[in-house]
Amino acid sequence: MAVALPLHPRGRRPRSPLTTRQQGYLLAAPALLIMIAIFVYPLAYSFVMSFFQWDLSARSTTFLGLANYADTLTSPSFDQSLRNQIIFSVVSLTTEVVAGMSIALLLNSKLRGLRIARTLLLIPPMIAPAVVGLNFRWLFNTQYGLFDALLRTAGLPPIPWLSDPNWALASVIIADVWQNTPLLVLLFLAGLQSVPQEPLEAAAVDGASAWRTFWEIILPLLRPVIFVALMLRIIDTFRTFDVVWLMTQGGPGGATTLITVNAYLLAFQSVDFGHAAAVSYIALIISLLLMGALYGVPRLWRTSAA
Amino acid sequence: MSDHALPRPWVSAAVRSRRRRIAIGLAARYSVLVLTIIITVFPLVWLFLTSLRSSADLFAVPVHIIPESVTISQYINIFRQYSLADYVWNTIIVSLTTVIFVTVLALPCAYAMARFRLPGQKVILSLLLIMRMIPIVALAIPLFAVFSSFDMLDTVWALILTHTAAKLPVAIWLLMGFIQDLPKEVEESAQVDGASILRTLVQIVSPMIAPGLGASAVITFLFTWNDFLIALTLTSSTDAQTLPVGLTNFVTQYGIDWGPMAAAGVLMVIPTIIFVWFAQGLLVKGLVTGAVRG
Repeated sequence: MAVALPLHPRGRRPRSPLTTRQQGYLLAAPALLIMIAIFVYPLAYSFVMSFFQWDLSARSTTFLGLANYADTLTSPSFDQSLRNQIIFSVVSLTTEVVAGMSIALLLNSKLRGLRIARTLLLIPPMIAPAVVGLNFRWLFNTQYGLFDALLRTAGLPPIPWLSDPNWALASVIIADVWQNTPLLVLLFLAGLQSVPQEPLEAAAVDGASAWRTFWEIILPLLRPVIFVALMLRIIDTFRTFDVVWLMTQGGPGGATTLITVNAYLLAFQSVDFGHAAAVSYIALIISLLLMGALYGVPRLWRTSAA
Repeated sequence: MSDHALPRPWVSAAVRSRRRRIAIGLAARYSVLVLTIIITVFPLVWLFLTSLRSSADLFAVPVHIIPESVTISQYINIFRQYSLADYVWNTIIVSLTTVIFVTVLALPCAYAMARFRLPGQKVILSLLLIMRMIPIVALAIPLFAVFSSFDMLDTVWALILTHTAAKLPVAIWLLMGFIQDLPKEVEESAQVDGASILRTLVQIVSPMIAPGLGASAVITFLFTWNDFLIALTLTSSTDAQTLPVGLTNFVTQYGIDWGPMAAAGVLMVIPTIIFVWFAQGLLVKGLVTGAVRG
């Protein structure tokens, strides 16, 4: 993408032959073009194709209207994946935010080793989810895995982590919580450190309990950080694929099939791109709605406070 | 504190109990710190220990927590038996090329967004934020069709182009923030002196936002390096498959070859640990943008 920018001869003509607006668009153009070609166009294409019967081999495509969407919304497999997705998102999000906040509150003082801990905490969120998935699959292995070995040593019955449908979803959530809680700890720690000390001291003088100080002073001050954390995690739980794929491939019996896994299976196992596109658009719409709600909440908050 | 007005024995008792409370609090904090570190690190240490075990030791029942003997045979095995070098090479090529493309494309775009008043700018910037939210699978499905019609499936170029487009939104937002924080005067005086916009961007702006360029490069590299789903859909052979997809080759119908899997997993994690160790600040900055500024 060679967009030649006209360089005017230095010094001679101070005014560029192009208006500044044109220059601005030229500077932005290469990046925008590549995103349009490889991001916007395919998405638009699949949006259109979600109204058709679309498999790659057949040249002819039949217009179906909203049939793909209707099928999806009534299909038991989508139903199951939506249920799994909601459980997965709500449970991991809640656990991560509550655990992240508790750990951050306890670590928020001058402790030796905190710097090292900060560095180490950044490792799990940056590791490939694929590696996390395989590693937890190994840890959860019934015969040779560490967790069941520890349970047996403690005289407890081993847990069928990945073979029992209920445990499988819990196992996937455990892996996700392990990977992402540290990021929230770091975010909340940074937020706590920018909390001004005066109101806290005033509260201490007034004899406020730690619990009340947290709810009435710290939490409102941390609102923007919590908002960022929720945004990041909501977006990501709806994009989660790798960990699940490598731990369970959505099994057993679809017990860990999230919406993304459902879309992938439809496209690349059933080779039914129309339905797959419909599913991925439904996922997108759900996360956009959630984002919209989340953006709306602080505004409501502000107007009601004013 | 107006404690001095009270009789002495009461004070010392109060002080003592307060001291004890502080000591207990401190002990509690340190135990949380230690526990957090252990939980964070342990699964990775276990992966590393697994990669050093002999196959006999791996499948010992009951499980040996400490390896009976240490061997690097699994690492040798992944290169000999599983041709892991191809995957490593593909991953490096894809990640580095993507970093270069993203930097070269995002910088002028971010500059235009930060310093020019362009109609439609707000729309573009919000679209970029929405792009950051799109599930990769929604993109992978049509891209499979697009690249197959251009006969580009199973090439590193398909991966590089896709990653470039997918990583640009975050990079643009990130760099835009850094450029907005710069004082305008330096650029203005450069332009009065007759420097072109491109020259101003390369010679004056870039050095001043070096941390931003670093953050965007590190984030882009790691997320490309870690990607699984794009490579899984667009590639099918060692011509273009990357390391995370290579990991799935250890999953066979007979089960999983855990020793080589662990060794390959450790290789995957090494760059992450290096970047976390040396570029912590940049990483955190990069991770949070896009969400904060929106």
